[in-house]
Amino acid sequence: MTLGGSHLDASWFLILSAILFTLGAVGVLVRRNPLVILICIELMLNAVNLTLVTFSRQLGNLEGQLFTLMSITVAAAEAVVGLAILVDIFHTRDVEDVDELSEMKG
Amino acid sequence: MAIAVFIIAALMAIAGAVGVISFREPIRSVLSLVVVMIALGILFLLLSAQFVFVAQIIVYAGAVMVLFLFVIALFGPAREFARANLRFQSWLSAVFVFALLVLIWMMLAGVQYRQPDKTDLSTFGTVQSIAVGLFTTYLYPFELTSLLLLVAAIGAIYLSRKKVDDK
Repeated sequence: MTLGGSHLDASWFLILSAILFTLGAVGVLVRRNPLVILICIELMLNAVNLTLVTFSRQLGNLEGQLFTLMSITVAAAEAVVGLAILVDIFHTRDVEDVDELSEMKG
Repeated sequence: MAIAVFIIAALMAIAGAVGVISFREPIRSVLSLVVVMIALGILFLLLSAQFVFVAQIIVYAGAVMVLFLFVIALFGPAREFARANLRFQSWLSAVFVFALLVLIWMMLAGVQYRQPDKTDLSTFGTVQSIAVGLFTTYLYPFELTSLLLLVAAIGAIYLSRKKVDDK
């Protein structure tokens, strides 16, 4: 597609999005702090938003951007509830490792 | 010109993402994520998604990140020490993530990019065109989103309330 007079392929944006999503997945798998894991989930959601906007532009269809707005809203709701749960847990104890939170494993 | 902007923003985003997963202090991870979000905002502008850019900066880089900063400043442990309970966890996750990247790559290689029809960029992605879509075709999803936000707000208040032992 042509952007600002020069040619940029949509696949560049998609590859960047894939790299960001993968880095977010690395963070979720490797990091121990529950807050940082939530941050990495936000990173993955952002990567997906980039994919949606890229395809929206590539196909000349606004629905991708509308879906991105929905996705931003849902991500905000997710962050609010996730942080509220963490605050509730932090009230009673200090969690340095998500693996400590295993009371519900049955 | 656009290629230079893309390369700068992409490098910013990747550097920020690496910072998110490699900093030991959570507060630096959050600030790196703000860098990623601003870089993605620039890319949204490049893709002529102006309204999404504004929403990204205000809602994400503004509100959500401030929420994270508050929680970290109030409760978060200042540092985390790497001690995996599962042996070989880093290697296992590296293998899984590499498989994920290869999978996404193969999917992207199979995509047939349709040549875009003549897109009228003077109206594409403006507030008006977004609003027309949001308030006509997608009115019900939009209203359901407001319900979702209400539920999230009530849930957050419920979860973070002061516990009263009424026994």
